Amino acid sequence: MELTDLFSNLALGFSVAATPANMFWCLMGALVGTAIGVLPGVGPVATMALLLPTTYYLPPEGALIMLAGIYYGAQYGGSTTAILINLPGESSSVVTVLDGYQMAKQGRAGAALAIAAIGSFFAGCVATVAIAVAAPPLTKVAQKFAPADYCSLMVLGLVFAIVLARGSVVKALGMVFLGMLLGLVGTDVNTGNLRYTFGISDLFDGIGFVPLVMGLFGMAEIMANMTNAERRDLVTSKVTGLMPTWADLKASAMPVLRGTILGGFLGILPGGGAVLASFSSYTVEKKLAKDPSRFGKGAIEGVAGPESANNAAAQTSFIPMLTLGIPSNAVMAMMIGGMMIHGIVPGPQVMTDRPGLFWGMIASMWLGNLMLIVLNLPMIGLWVRMLMVPYRLMSVAILFFCCIGVYSLNNSANEVLFIAVFGLLGYLFFKLDCEPAPLLLGFILGPLLEVYMRRAMLLSRGDAMVFIERPLSASFLALAAVLLVIVLLPNIRKAREVAFVE
Amino acid sequence: MRIKGSQDLAAGLMFGIIGLLAIKIGADYPVGSWQRPGTGVLPLILAWCLVGIGAILTLKGLVSAGPSLLEGQWAWRPVIMVTLAGIAFALLVDDGGLVAAMAVSMAICALGTPETRWREFAYFTVIMCVTAVLMFIKGLGMPIKVFPWN
Repeated sequence: MELTDLFSNLALGFSVAATPANMFWCLMGALVGTAIGVLPGVGPVATMALLLPTTYYLPPEGALIMLAGIYYGAQYGGSTTAILINLPGESSSVVTVLDGYQMAKQGRAGAALAIAAIGSFFAGCVATVAIAVAAPPLTKVAQKFAPADYCSLMVLGLVFAIVLARGSVVKALGMVFLGMLLGLVGTDVNTGNLRYTFGISDLFDGIGFVPLVMGLFGMAEIMANMTNAERRDLVTSKVTGLMPTWADLKASAMPVLRGTILGGFLGILPGGGAVLASFSSYTVEKKLAKDPSRFGKGAIEGVAGPESANNAAAQTSFIPMLTLGIPSNAVMAMMIGGMMIHGIVPGPQVMTDRPGLFWGMIASMWLGNLMLIVLNLPMIGLWVRMLMVPYRLMSVAILFFCCIGVYSLNNSANEVLFIAVFGLLGYLFFKLDCEPAPLLLGFILGPLLEVYMRRAMLLSRGDAMVFIERPLSASFLALAAVLLVIVLLPNIRKAREVAFVE
Repeated sequence: MRIKGSQDLAAGLMFGIIGLLAIKIGADYPVGSWQRPGTGVLPLILAWCLVGIGAILTLKGLVSAGPSLLEGQWAWRPVIMVTLAGIAFALLVDDGGLVAAMAVSMAICALGTPETRWREFAYFTVIMCVTAVLMFIKGLGMPIKVFPWN
């Protein structure tokens, strides 16, 4: 019964995803994603923010399919840069640099690129099936949640995101609170009162998601990157021998499998995502290797494992977003932003109310992965040439796209002023070593949390004990508390720092 | 007393000050009843949490060693120029048209880095302007003037 459901769901998905228009948006997303993945200094979050206004003109299916394509496309692209020039194109390919670049220096760039692509494709296929299998039961569970349970689940999600984020836990907590506070700016939907608007009429509807993200991620990124003088050592502009040898494939098979499983699990955890997955996979491969000293000197396992892991995680991180409506990282916050632009309220009801959208997006991930592996390897030459575009020109172009993107939302010049302000704020956060990602999660979840808190309090007739009396809610809160305590204990904190440094 | 971790201290002050401001402004917001929490409830809870975080970080910055605020350069030039570029675009786009807004804001942005080569930048700006007019005004039909006199 369940299996036939799975097939009929996937069939529905493919019937949506395989229409020419949606195939086109999927391809566009994957290509744009690869392009920004290749370019160091332009992250998927900033790019998705740049394209968010454009998706306003698309049907919701096309919009979300394209946005998703950007994310997993970026995972493919990031590895190209990591292997060819000793620089991670994406933060999730930081570890690929270690062995990938060494392989390229030994003239095995082709093999490294091919293994990275094959590993990513395999991981993408498995993760797509994993989403399709895991989503319906999780959604069923989520539909039974009472408002109080939802409230506590959001708290748990935020705590998870803090625990798994890099850097100081206290600062991450502060950023979450600040983000939630920013999310509450504007008209209180329940009472109609204005909050923190300072009499500025553009703030009556709240702070716009797009200006906030473009300022914090786009403008601040330009500022930070302009300071660093750039050096790009391209190994070789000609990549030959794209086919990996039989020995390469054999050596990579197990790391790919392990990376996929590891990445798949880590991706589901809020705050986990692609970066954590690739780091963990590298550590695992190094520990399991017969001769760990080969790592860092061009071991193919060091490319195969992490590259599979980051792609698997990139895709499974859609699970909590799709089923619970809770973003696990900044990229998923962006996907939710994309949904809300189209008036879709994220949550478990998406699957039942809009099955075409839901399953279409999942099916498009598999199609997108297929397109990426078919297109990417032959297009390596083009990507390499794109790396020649100097940052001094790219920064100017990004600035323009930030401005026009925000302006196009409401044709409001004042909102462009906001990105200037948020850009400054973003740079300040950067200098104070405060990660902006938790702020974004707080910004999305803050207003939702308030809605559910009010509902819970109304239902319980003003009894705050409802959060502890409901078993589900209580266990979420307990888990959140335990996690916070654990991560603040000195010993664990040290271990965590070491893990992230490695 | 020597400040040991000025980065933490500054972050603490930032969170703390924002929290205090939010409490002061939010003091007037109605808190409602237990059954119907009002406008002010969540903002005040969050603001107090921010003050707490701010206090912890401030203390940590004063007492325990940490990175200095002055570590690594502060990129004043790009920060100022990129911000000004955004403001310039906002001020120019409605009355000055897209081309003027683009040319001015991109030039200000280019002033942010000493690496800019002006001849190359000029060609690039022309290409960008033509593409943008074709894409956003002709293609997507956005209601922006091309030139100030349009």
